[in-house]
Amino acid sequence: MSAAPLISLRGIAKRFGTHQALHGIDLDVEAGSVVVLIGPSGSGKSTLIRCINGLVRPDEGMLHVAGSPVDIHHERAWQRMRTEVGMVFQDYALFPHLTVLRNMTITPERRRGIPRAKAEEEARALLTRVGLAHKALDYPSALSGGQQQRVAIVRALAMRPKAILFDEPTSALDPETIGSVLDVMKDLAREGTTMVVVTHEMGFAREVADRVVFMAEGRIVEEGPPDALFGAPRHERTRAFLSSIRSFGEAVHG
Amino acid sequence: MEFDFAYLTAQWPALMRGLWLTVQVSALSIVLSILVGVLGAAVRVLQVPVLDKLVVGYVEFIRNTPLLAQLFFIFYGLPGLGLRLSLFWSGVLCLTLWAGAYQIENVRGGLETVGKGLREAAFSLGLSPWRFFRLVAAPMAIRVGLPSMLNTSISLLKNSSYLQAIGLAELTYVAIDRISMDFRTIEMFAAICVIYLLLVLTLSFLASRLEYRLNAPFRL
Repeated sequence: MSAAPLISLRGIAKRFGTHQALHGIDLDVEAGSVVVLIGPSGSGKSTLIRCINGLVRPDEGMLHVAGSPVDIHHERAWQRMRTEVGMVFQDYALFPHLTVLRNMTITPERRRGIPRAKAEEEARALLTRVGLAHKALDYPSALSGGQQQRVAIVRALAMRPKAILFDEPTSALDPETIGSVLDVMKDLAREGTTMVVVTHEMGFAREVADRVVFMAEGRIVEEGPPDALFGAPRHERTRAFLSSIRSFGEAVHG
Repeated sequence: MEFDFAYLTAQWPALMRGLWLTVQVSALSIVLSILVGVLGAAVRVLQVPVLDKLVVGYVEFIRNTPLLAQLFFIFYGLPGLGLRLSLFWSGVLCLTLWAGAYQIENVRGGLETVGKGLREAAFSLGLSPWRFFRLVAAPMAIRVGLPSMLNTSISLLKNSSYLQAIGLAELTYVAIDRISMDFRTIEMFAAICVIYLLLVLTLSFLASRLEYRLNAPFRL
């Protein structure tokens, strides 16, 4: 018998004005697995990943994290669950007025009540892991995009979350630095970190994902292991999307 | 009639007592008005129901009525409503309310520069809206808003001279009081203008030190 999924969405729907961004999404994320969301822009990937931690509050549906239900209509419930589920953004979003170290310790200290010295020790260990120990006392403006994004990842890790959400973590990066961020993410996946990733990096999806979910027009069109989804997509919509990004890739690389 | 330095020397102790009162009432009001500014801006930005409308009304009222009328209302009007304040605290209340309205707008302007991305990042780490405001948004907004907050503080310092109208013995009051007895107009007004100028320069210097420190994270 298998354990309950770490994150479970049932019938998650969201409307912006007259636009129905999400139509009753069901999604399960098993503990220790990597789920990659792909799809054309406007398909609802970013809205969906934000519905998992309430940055966008779903209108209806049920959400369970680690077996407990989240009351989606109460901000306090979201605030509690967000300490369990970290998030990494496209634009890094480090706090520019705080040092790298303080960026990482401020929430563990204020929100988890971890003593300053302990929080700093853990933060330094995490920075060492991503090769940025020497930047601990620098401000974010002194770091490159790739370095800032690695700090953003370990800032999320410093809260000891049960899962991490990634919203297009490499989209704002220079091609040369994308690799350093993807390497960190691959490391995390190997260690069994539960991850939900919105990305256009199909190579990463193919290599790391346990399951790839293809979305279009606010619905999940099809999902499956990367080999199946990329190798033998069942739906016409998926095939069209994959061939459009492949021809784009050939235009760039070929 | 020539400029009489000996007269000024004789009046120096009185001027210094006035100056000390000006410094006390202004410094206290500057600190309190910045507090009003930060809290008022928080109420506006976090859209606290009812309170945010009150803040809008307060800012509009202060900005669109003369300071002297506000001062007389506080000193002569409030006792009629059952609130009797000393001269000193009437002055502090008047200057704080006046400058507070402008400080709200100054801090709010600074908050505009704190993007949605940082808000989402703070929320995603489990911070409440209030903690986000206190730990991230307010420090960033104060840095950006500092030049305009200094302007308002300078105006407050200069406007403390209005308090002579209710009889608070600050610097301008001392000067006018002495002029009415000794008719040494030139000496007195020259002296207090120089003193106000030095006060404002000191305030600007302190603010530029603070700005330098707050900008440390953004210097490369």
